[in-house]
Amino acid sequence: MLKVNQLSIEINGKRIVDGSSFFVPRGRITSIIGESGSGKSMTISALLNILPAGSKAAGQAFFDNKDLLAISNKEMSAIRGSQIFTVFQDALNSFNPSVKMGKQLYEFSGRRIRHSVAEFHLKMDDILNDLGLSKAIMEQYPFELSGGMLQRCMIACALYVRPRLLIADEPTSALDTLLQKEFIELLKGLNEKQGTTILLITHDLDIVAEVADKMVIMHKGKVVEVGNVAEVFERPKNAYTKRLLESRF
Amino acid sequence: MTVKWIGKRMMMGVVVLLVVSFLSFFIMHAAPGDPATAFYGGNAQTLNAAEKERISRVFSLDRPITAQYGSWLVETLKGNLGISYKEGRPVITILRERLPNTLLLFGVTMFFIIVGSVWLGTIAGMKAGSILDKGLSILSIATSSIPAFWLGILFISFFAVKLGVLPSSGTGEIGGEGGFWDKLRYLILPATVIIFTHVGIFARFLQENIKDESRKYYVTVARANGVTEREIRKGILHNASFPYLNYIGMTIPSFFGGSIIVESLFSWNGLGQLTIKSVVTKDFPLLMGSILLIGMLVVISLFIIDFLMYSLNPKLRKGGVQ
Amino acid sequence: MKSRKMLAFWCIVLGIIVFSTVFSGNLAPYEPNDMNLDEVYLSPGDGHLLGTDHLGRDVFSRLLGGGKVTLTVATVSVLLSLVLGVLYGGFSGYVGGIVDTALMRLLEVFITIPSLIIILSFQAFMQGGMWSMALIIGVTGWLSTARIVRSEFIRLKEAEFVQMAKMFGTPIWKIIISHLLKNSVPAIFVVTLFNFANAIFIEVSLSFLGIGVPPAIPSWGNMLYYAQNDILIGAWWIGLYPGILIFITILAINFIGEALKDPERRRFSA
Repeated sequence: MLKVNQLSIEINGKRIVDGSSFFVPRGRITSIIGESGSGKSMTISALLNILPAGSKAAGQAFFDNKDLLAISNKEMSAIRGSQIFTVFQDALNSFNPSVKMGKQLYEFSGRRIRHSVAEFHLKMDDILNDLGLSKAIMEQYPFELSGGMLQRCMIACALYVRPRLLIADEPTSALDTLLQKEFIELLKGLNEKQGTTILLITHDLDIVAEVADKMVIMHKGKVVEVGNVAEVFERPKNAYTKRLLESRF
Repeated sequence: MTVKWIGKRMMMGVVVLLVVSFLSFFIMHAAPGDPATAFYGGNAQTLNAAEKERISRVFSLDRPITAQYGSWLVETLKGNLGISYKEGRPVITILRERLPNTLLLFGVTMFFIIVGSVWLGTIAGMKAGSILDKGLSILSIATSSIPAFWLGILFISFFAVKLGVLPSSGTGEIGGEGGFWDKLRYLILPATVIIFTHVGIFARFLQENIKDESRKYYVTVARANGVTEREIRKGILHNASFPYLNYIGMTIPSFFGGSIIVESLFSWNGLGQLTIKSVVTKDFPLLMGSILLIGMLVVISLFIIDFLMYSLNPKLRKGGVQ
Repeated sequence: MKSRKMLAFWCIVLGIIVFSTVFSGNLAPYEPNDMNLDEVYLSPGDGHLLGTDHLGRDVFSRLLGGGKVTLTVATVSVLLSLVLGVLYGGFSGYVGGIVDTALMRLLEVFITIPSLIIILSFQAFMQGGMWSMALIIGVTGWLSTARIVRSEFIRLKEAEFVQMAKMFGTPIWKIIISHLLKNSVPAIFVVTLFNFANAIFIEVSLSFLGIGVPPAIPSWGNMLYYAQNDILIGAWWIGLYPGILIFITILAINFIGEALKDPERRRFSA
């Protein structure tokens, strides 16, 4: 579904990601794992064309035969609106603090797939309910909700939109352990029930072991190893991967 | 919540007015010379002994300054601001004549400053790195470094003396012969001077806020998830408006100060010019009256701005819940 | 790099202005108050570089001499407001708690006062001169300094090295001076620069209204006060040059302030 080929990213002349290539198969959960600063989050920014000012990306990233790095802004917006959904790390800061949640959730979900506000409320209330959220949050502001609630709101939007590709960038690192578990279950459910392809960025090997089918290991801006999770855990080839796996026990 | 907030703000306004009036009262009474004479001023000879007695008793001129201030306060609350010794008319009447002119000048300049700075600041802020973005930063510093009254002198010497197209001073009466257009002709020069020296720095402030706001996390999240650019911009502008409003509030006191000088230069028949006049002629009751009125205008403007911020910013409304 | 060149340029401009006004006694071709009734209203040209005024006084010499007065008033008042601001803001920030809240409320009230009006009444009723003006500008001008010092102190108080110093039993006055105050210097410097520009504005405005520096002493504001009448009869040079000099001085200060402020701000937000 997504094929990244020789992706390099430079920020202010400094190379952050160097010739990384990997493949995200349809209907599976693929995980990119690496320490902070390994370039994994920048890789996502490049794919979504949201790199900070002063940075450049080179290479190719084919999403359904369309090169995400080469298409126009308009095409990119269309893909970001209807095909890909991204859940970010910092849920507390992911929403505009001065707009009610109901309106923002609509912008993040219903509006993207051209649903009316009435349709949105009908469908969203059920989804929120399933996630253990009261529909009263629609009338609240982001700063009145907890990080866990906000992250579930994001997931609610993903459930609503049913994107073809769900990208989750360190979605659990701001949550406590209990919520982390719940969140991982949600991702699994989404993949199993709706068949959503998921690209999960994390630094947590436990999470990878639990949900991912495939893994991509990044280190200092380079992809050092790619493979099925079970195989890599059994027989790591790269020296860094070995060290990483050892540190787990 | 809202009622409580309004009450608190009003209390604050009252405190400000008390501090301002007491300070000015104190300064004037600490001035060299007999306070009684300062109070009667040039009218002292024309008053008979009984009349002097009466005024002295009403304003407690023979008692300590705090008592005098207390009497002044009581009289003021009753609506008696005393009689201007220069004009021999009640202060409140004079203030009533002047107020509309000051409100007109203030209203017109504030309107154009806000409209102009929002327009310029938004365009420049949304296009970070563009020529307009960089140009506005420099231009705003330059225009705000010009002393407004000096620009006024230049304008007078060019438009009034050399070209003779606009009047150099005066106000023009709305009810007068020339009507509205005549008034407008008098308004152009003073208003332009104030707008020109303020609009840039206001625009720049908004521009910086918009640029800061555009770099926020939630903007990236929204953009990555295909939220329309229109909605994103609306959100950025909304949030950038809080510090902008706050900035307007912060500059209002000095804005009134600045327009005092411009009013005086163009002999604009307003409160500012009145203040200067009463300062120069040491017309004590009149000066106290105009200071109090200008103080009230500042307090009211700040109240309006605070109220706007309060209604726009849910974080303030919800008492800063995190 | 470019902004550094700009900074150097404006520093040089300000330096030249300050230098030539401080040494106006030696540099000016005439005594600033020397009248010559045979040479009134001479336009700029031979003998009088920038012309003469209604009493035949040399405009260029008065500009330099006037600058000395204006800049002296501004400097004295800024030093005064610096001391007051550091004391008030430092105390409020260091003590914190209820005291801090109360002092900040009071500061909010002060900020709401149109200080120009207070200065005006003070000058008029005290029949003040140059020094009283410096005093009153200083006494009313410390609010922004106090705010900055307070926020700097609050930020630094929590910093690790200050906590360490406290743990080692460093005396309080030493912590305040060598840690808190020393590290606030960049921020204080910037706000003091802007205060300086503001003080010039106020001196010029008051003297322009005729209630600032006494007429016998030339200042930039005084010159503009007289220029009001001169302009009406076409002697534009008397009003033009003081204004330009005020403009350039304030411009230079503002640009220097901006250049120093920006990297600061970036450092604090990082």
